[in-house]
Amino acid sequence: MFSHLFVAYVFIYVCLGLIGLGIMLLVQMKISHNREQQRREYYEQKHHDYFVYVQAHLGDDAELKLPPGKLKPLERSVIQDKFIEWIEQFKGDYRNRLIRLCREAGFVEADLKALGSFRYGRRLAAAYRLGGMRAEEAVPGLLKMLQKGKYNSISIIIARSIAKAANRPEDLLDMLRSLLSHGKPIHHLAADILLETKLDAGSILLKLLDDPDPGLVKVGLVAMWGQAVPEVMPVLGRLVGAKEKDVRAEAVKLYLSTNPALKDETIVQLMTDRDWEVRAEAAKALGQLHAAGSIPLLVKALQDASWKVRHNSAESLAALGEAGFEALCQAAVTGTGIQREAALHRIGLVMEAEQKHGAIEQMVAYNKKRLIHDRYFGVKQPVKRVTGVAAVGGDYTA
Amino acid sequence: MPESLTLERKQQEGLYHNLEERLNKTFPELCGVMFLYCPGPPQLESLVSEFLRQETGSDIEVLKDASTSTLAVLLPGSTLNQAHYQALLLKRHLEETVPEADPRITLTVFPGQVDPTPGVLKQMAESARLGPSSDIHIFTKEEAASEPGRILIVDNDDTIREFLTIRLNMQGYETLEALDGTSALELIEKWEPDLVLTELNLYGIDGLPFINQIQKLPVENTPKIVVLTEQRVERTISQCFQHGVDDYITKPFSPVELDARIHRCFQ
Amino acid sequence: MLVYGTVAIYYVMFVNILYFAIMGLSYRSIGTIAKRAKYSSYQTLSGSELVPSVSLLVPAYNEELTIIENVYCLMTLNYPTYEVIVINDGSSDDTLSVLIKEFKLEKMHNPEIRGTIETQNVRGIYHNPDYPHLFIIDKENGGKADSLNAGINFSHYPLISSIDADSLLEKDALIRMARMYMENPEETVAIGGDVRIANGCLIENGAVKRVSLPRKIWPMFQSIEYLKAFLGGRIGWSRMNGLIIVSGAFGLFRKDYVIAVGGYRGGYPGEDMNIIIKLHRYMLSHKIPYKVAFCPEAVCWTQAPDTYKIISNQRMRWGRGNLKNMIENRGMFLNPKYKIMGLITIPYNVLFETLNPYFRITGLLALAGYTLLDMTHWRILLTFMLLNFLSGYLLSVGAVILEEIAFRRYKKLSDLWKMLLFSALKFVGYHQLGVLWRVQGHIQYLRKNNSWGTMTRQSWKEESETASTA
Repeated sequence: MFSHLFVAYVFIYVCLGLIGLGIMLLVQMKISHNREQQRREYYEQKHHDYFVYVQAHLGDDAELKLPPGKLKPLERSVIQDKFIEWIEQFKGDYRNRLIRLCREAGFVEADLKALGSFRYGRRLAAAYRLGGMRAEEAVPGLLKMLQKGKYNSISIIIARSIAKAANRPEDLLDMLRSLLSHGKPIHHLAADILLETKLDAGSILLKLLDDPDPGLVKVGLVAMWGQAVPEVMPVLGRLVGAKEKDVRAEAVKLYLSTNPALKDETIVQLMTDRDWEVRAEAAKALGQLHAAGSIPLLVKALQDASWKVRHNSAESLAALGEAGFEALCQAAVTGTGIQREAALHRIGLVMEAEQKHGAIEQMVAYNKKRLIHDRYFGVKQPVKRVTGVAAVGGDYTA
Repeated sequence: MPESLTLERKQQEGLYHNLEERLNKTFPELCGVMFLYCPGPPQLESLVSEFLRQETGSDIEVLKDASTSTLAVLLPGSTLNQAHYQALLLKRHLEETVPEADPRITLTVFPGQVDPTPGVLKQMAESARLGPSSDIHIFTKEEAASEPGRILIVDNDDTIREFLTIRLNMQGYETLEALDGTSALELIEKWEPDLVLTELNLYGIDGLPFINQIQKLPVENTPKIVVLTEQRVERTISQCFQHGVDDYITKPFSPVELDARIHRCFQ
Repeated sequence: MLVYGTVAIYYVMFVNILYFAIMGLSYRSIGTIAKRAKYSSYQTLSGSELVPSVSLLVPAYNEELTIIENVYCLMTLNYPTYEVIVINDGSSDDTLSVLIKEFKLEKMHNPEIRGTIETQNVRGIYHNPDYPHLFIIDKENGGKADSLNAGINFSHYPLISSIDADSLLEKDALIRMARMYMENPEETVAIGGDVRIANGCLIENGAVKRVSLPRKIWPMFQSIEYLKAFLGGRIGWSRMNGLIIVSGAFGLFRKDYVIAVGGYRGGYPGEDMNIIIKLHRYMLSHKIPYKVAFCPEAVCWTQAPDTYKIISNQRMRWGRGNLKNMIENRGMFLNPKYKIMGLITIPYNVLFETLNPYFRITGLLALAGYTLLDMTHWRILLTFMLLNFLSGYLLSVGAVILEEIAFRRYKKLSDLWKMLLFSALKFVGYHQLGVLWRVQGHIQYLRKNNSWGTMTRQSWKEESETASTA
């Protein structure tokens, strides 16, 4: 028993020792954190007037002065943080002037030095701030840092810094390649990072779309949402036929969102694509294009296995004037199963939404549709729909 | 009116006339003028002139309005930027050397936005003495004319609010700040601003519900709404315009562009 | 008797060494966590079109006091595209009508329910175009899991997030999780958030404005308990992808996989653990690489029960749920097919969580009996108790250090002393009660008592008024 007890005693003493150490460490950490916080607040107050001065004169042509007096390291870091915060908020000349101010104050130089530090924490902090200060001379060092480390959240931080600082498109491409080299499908995140660049997005996107690496092409496609870049249209047209499923889907989505003039065979091709996302996008686009000739295709698509395709087709039919609406009603009356469900649902929505409109043209349009509706479903008899729990088929891909 | 008082008034008026003359004749080139109000130290005049002479190395002049103990400092040859910086140094110096000092400074430069009439000079002196904030204040044309628009700045980010306040004040707008949607709605109702410059992402209430609420407030003139936000989702932007937002600017923003768009709202 | 007592002593030491090992893993991760929390940029992400859309599901049963504040909180998150779906689970109070009144909702005529998971009858869906991202589902009572399933059926977006109606999310909480998801989108099937105790904090405008520790003792103990479980435990478990639970209070899931495993299981507590076990099971048996992650920087503040009755009910329910889950999934126990899950997590849970009370109680009884027989052996009993106390205390201290390294939500030095004090006091009474409640929960399970017990809420306003007067 006593040898067992001895083990227990050892365990107890070890625990006691660790508890003592832990509490000492805690108190020390808490006090030093709090003190640093207080110092920061004090310095922020001290330099308040200077900060106001900078903000008031950022727009002037004259050079801005550096903060007066000799600064302690923490003081410098408070000022630098403030500058970086502004750089993130402003565009154009204001940003450039602040960047210049960071250089003059020696912040860039100090962080470039810290990038070679032995301590990882310091290196990372420097990398973060160098991105904030848009210091292009740091890019080679940052790229090396990114390529050396294994992929985790920290890689993203470094990549963001590179995107902010880089002055050459090649560096951006290198950064993206390195991010994607780990095989994770992080195209959306990569595109978001890419868009932090100060370079002209259009030419970079064009480069990405022309890249042999499908990963980069996808980043380019994803990044193009919301960016009007006319020069890439021809490339898009080519990518619509791409082999990779997700590249094709993204390209089709983008291509159709620009309301292009579609040839009949292209429409047929898109509506019979293997990928439901492509079909859904095509169905959606047909309504917006007012392509009345595509009504039969859309009616057929009401039977599609994918909920999204059915939904979009019904929506597009409803958008195609009286002819489209009539086709929808017909499908609801003669069709069966999911086709009927999809059509009925949309009809209900249309009838309900249009009742609310006030303008005369809308009233006229509504009454025309109502006429069609009543012809199919009878006067006054409300559309018989299964509401509530009834499901419209099971597809959760969207 | 008792004689002594009239005399003082004359003297006082005399100071500003005197200043006007000096500015027009002696320093027709460029001259920074700063009004300093700092009760406490007895030797303020010499303290100030000594310090500034050392700092600038040029000939500065300090005059005193005895009735209000406000100092007028002339900084010949300095631009607005330089004058502001000197004011900064001076304020810091006073705060460090004089215990409990609370120096208030208003400054501008002539010839510049305003003409140095006695009225304007006096208005400046008053604004130094009576101004609400201890921040160094730059006197502008719009302030002299004083028929500004009212702008309510709504943002949770202190940095942005501070910048916008400084900038819009310099252009003569009257501003107030709100940190969150709920207090913004209260302020709009009470203060009736002409324009609300807001972030979409706020505490309390935000986004479209916030915009809708503003428009439903029982105020005489619904304020114009300019959105300044991180939110870049296209659908949100178009929804905002549908709900009657006047302009939508995404961060990071160009302050010059912001000025132009706000200006447009006031036309 | 003595032999059994010795075994119990070794059991306690062994369990604690395991706890330390897990906490050690947490320590290995904490550096990266602290750095990413500090340097990740949420400003750009939170307005970006590229962030995936999320449906927030908020099951509400008799929450008339807190629900409005909660909905306001959830509608002002820092996130580009999301919707808030509150599911009124047949409340007997005015939950539905206060919502309708506050947001001027109207019944939708033609709601579209796409999902096909079986649920109780949905009575209607309410909406107001002025609040385009808010929906209320009114359904007949069917429990939390059933409500979540109804929410899934109606939701429009590919990610879902379950949130308790008595919890407030920090503004950045969701975007922080989404960042984590975007860093590994294909493999991540679920992400859990850090749950903290809001009692004692000052709450304004649906957000925690000033953080302080609870003033009442029950929430205070839970505060430390949560800190220990989330920071000391879950960070470590997630490092080896062995997380067995994502807290029901705040978690993010991929909808397609939740549906693939049949949605939430109704009719029994512990649905939050159940869904995670099912996900592990599904992914492992289909040999799809996956990750169940934990995101400690995404914080959710929850109201902790502050009376004996409520907390004991809650814990018994947990005990019951845990036992049920373990029995249901006994096939995974030491089954190499289920890798970390089968070989480590489940056995660990059975031996050191589910059965823990029995080892401890019987060990104590054995040693106490032994001491009674011969009073000279009191030292052995004392050793046993000290062992329990010190190792537990060390774990608490370790968790508080983790908090100090990465998060520092509690700023004052006095908070630190208070936490250290209550970490010790926890072992006088509270800890023992915890063991008792768990055993009672097991008894309930065996007697097939499946009630939820009472769970009364305090309105956030009251809570925060007391906080501001303190």
